[in-house]
Amino acid sequence: MKKQSLTKRWEDILYLSPGIVVLGLIFIIPLCYAIGITFVRWTLIRPELGIVFVGLQNYVNILKDPFTYEVLGRTMVFLICAVIIEMVLGMVIATVLNWGYRGHSLLQSICLIPFMMAPIVVGFTWRFLLNNTFGPIPRLLQSIGLESWVSLPLLANPHTVMLVLILVDVWQFTPFVVLVVLAGMKALPTEPFEAATVDGATSWQRFRHITLPLLRSSLLVALVMRTLTALRVFDTVSIMTGGGPGSSSEIISFYGYRLAFQSYEMGLAGTVGILTMLLALGLTVVYLRRVGVES
Amino acid sequence: MRKNKCIRGIFLVLIMLVFPVMVIIAGGAQEAVESDPLQLVSERGTHTEAWKTQMEAFESESGVDLEITQHPYANYFDQLMLSYTSGQNEYDVPYISLLWYPTLANAGYIQPLNDFVDADATLPEDMPGLQSASLDGDIYFIPYMNEVGGIVYRKDLFEDETEKKNFKAEYGYELTPPKTLEQYEDIAAFFHRPPELYGVTLMGKRSIFLATHFMNRLWAHGGNLLDDDFEPVFDSEIGVKSLEEVKDFFAYTNPAAYSYDFQEALTEFKMGKSAMAELWTTAMFHVDDPEGSQIVGKASFVGFPKPADAGDEKRPRLFISWGFAISDACERKEEALDWIAHATASDALAEAAPLGTIPARISAMNDADLIAELPWIPAFQEALDTCIPTPIVPLIPEGMSIVNGFVAPMVSEFISGNGSAEELLAGAAASTRELLEQNGYY
Repeated sequence: MKKQSLTKRWEDILYLSPGIVVLGLIFIIPLCYAIGITFVRWTLIRPELGIVFVGLQNYVNILKDPFTYEVLGRTMVFLICAVIIEMVLGMVIATVLNWGYRGHSLLQSICLIPFMMAPIVVGFTWRFLLNNTFGPIPRLLQSIGLESWVSLPLLANPHTVMLVLILVDVWQFTPFVVLVVLAGMKALPTEPFEAATVDGATSWQRFRHITLPLLRSSLLVALVMRTLTALRVFDTVSIMTGGGPGSSSEIISFYGYRLAFQSYEMGLAGTVGILTMLLALGLTVVYLRRVGVES
Repeated sequence: MRKNKCIRGIFLVLIMLVFPVMVIIAGGAQEAVESDPLQLVSERGTHTEAWKTQMEAFESESGVDLEITQHPYANYFDQLMLSYTSGQNEYDVPYISLLWYPTLANAGYIQPLNDFVDADATLPEDMPGLQSASLDGDIYFIPYMNEVGGIVYRKDLFEDETEKKNFKAEYGYELTPPKTLEQYEDIAAFFHRPPELYGVTLMGKRSIFLATHFMNRLWAHGGNLLDDDFEPVFDSEIGVKSLEEVKDFFAYTNPAAYSYDFQEALTEFKMGKSAMAELWTTAMFHVDDPEGSQIVGKASFVGFPKPADAGDEKRPRLFISWGFAISDACERKEEALDWIAHATASDALAEAAPLGTIPARISAMNDADLIAELPWIPAFQEALDTCIPTPIVPLIPEGMSIVNGFVAPMVSEFISGNGSAEELLAGAAASTRELLEQNGYY
């Protein structure tokens, strides 16, 4: 009996082994590699200098550089503003779409369009929409008496560029939150709502005390996913601003890219990548503890 | 039960076998592709389209098959570097920017092409780009096309009698394409009639394009990025003056120009919205393309002006060149050299030029048919003759990092009002020095 169970166990491991190998190839090995290069100085454009082990020097250099904190600050502003707006707006839109009036399916499909677009297309589209010569948005702002807002292009103004990037992110990714929350709403049991209605609860009370707590898991998924993806927003920043004007829109993903493919400092770029991963991990743990405990 | 176990066993063995076999097949498939034709690699651009038209003739004449891989310009260099560093050796003949060969040569990814130049004594004189193509005495890069930084201008406006009369009345001299920086500013101010017409179009988005506006002025005033000992010298009085001039010139642009990249700047000029645009010569191909231009045949080109006090002294002008190299791992060097010789022959260059390239050979630029088709070619040649053709980045592996990573952000910070010229220049120079020191230049 024991022998049979042991054979079965080996058999299970063998069945799983292709999956484990694939996982190792596409996840664990690259991760180890990414961590490994943070301990070396490797200048891609000077391969003759070799790959030199420097211990924790890359971490020290990155953490000592005041620019890192500037970039981190900007990233956090972007992340917090974009994710909060997306969560609130996504919740509102999902609630409206869940009412089930005529044509709501069509509306749902239309709402999803921005999320289906490639970020690079979103970048070019918004760059055009915001162009002071050809774009409709500056003209609209001018026509309602807000000329001073667009005397300098919104993307070239250090005071407005982050706001624009946040709004573009909200435009593109709110549909994702809608999708997740709406799926959660559709799966809610009807009994608690019926009971609350019989007990005389108002719509707000039903929403506050039944819908929201029951949606906690869906909201957590949306929150974690959006936080992780907002941390690695790159395409729209690269297309729309290139990190400028100056460094007003340089966020952490773009900083990592610049170190890797403009300075070709692979060790430093890897370090920024690992720090970004740690930040994402930290935020996820906080979310799970704060929001996810009961669900 | 026993039968089930048997089936499970067979299934297990199959899984264990199929996976490695698939990996081997995938690897083997790549191996097979790599052997046959001579592998060319390039960006997706007009000059590549021009030389691609020569491939068929070469294949039928030589019996050598060519295969080309093209990447978007934005990630071409990264792809090329990754291909080399990973040791894949996929490409025999990379078509590269002049700015890239020092990195590739230093790393040993491309091989010297001295035989090619030695075989033709007239080549150095006929091909001015070769002056910038050598490293430690070895030639690594054979230019295919040339470009010079300068100004594309509206010929029709400059030749308009009323405009000429009004300009002379206002400034006291004739309206001609700008030869001095002072004239350039006067003309930009004269034609600046927003929103119908802007004096000049510049590219304000943080990128290497914005850095060109600073570099044009820095060179025109006699400055440079690095001295002969690789010390950064752009944080000088000339640097400050040049940076301030860039900012001042934005007064004659469409305010939208602060966010322009090359394509948007070109579009504005093609729409006839500005009298001049600080671009480079290939912009003329787009301007004369009836499909997307409203000023076909109404524009020409002039090299970037110098200050009046520079007189006839030759000063550096932005020089851009793309051309061919041969990978160090290429085992068919003779065939690769034959292809390069075919593509860069004078008649082939002249024939392909109207498709979107400016020939790298003077003999091709003098081709009468070509001049008839592209009447601005002599203006380009004059711009080239009257300057020291200078690549935008120093020809060292760190050159791109310096201009992209320190100079462009510094100019962007300054024009957006984030700091003084002195502070920003000093910061960029310090970062440049630190990088070069780390990499063993001092």
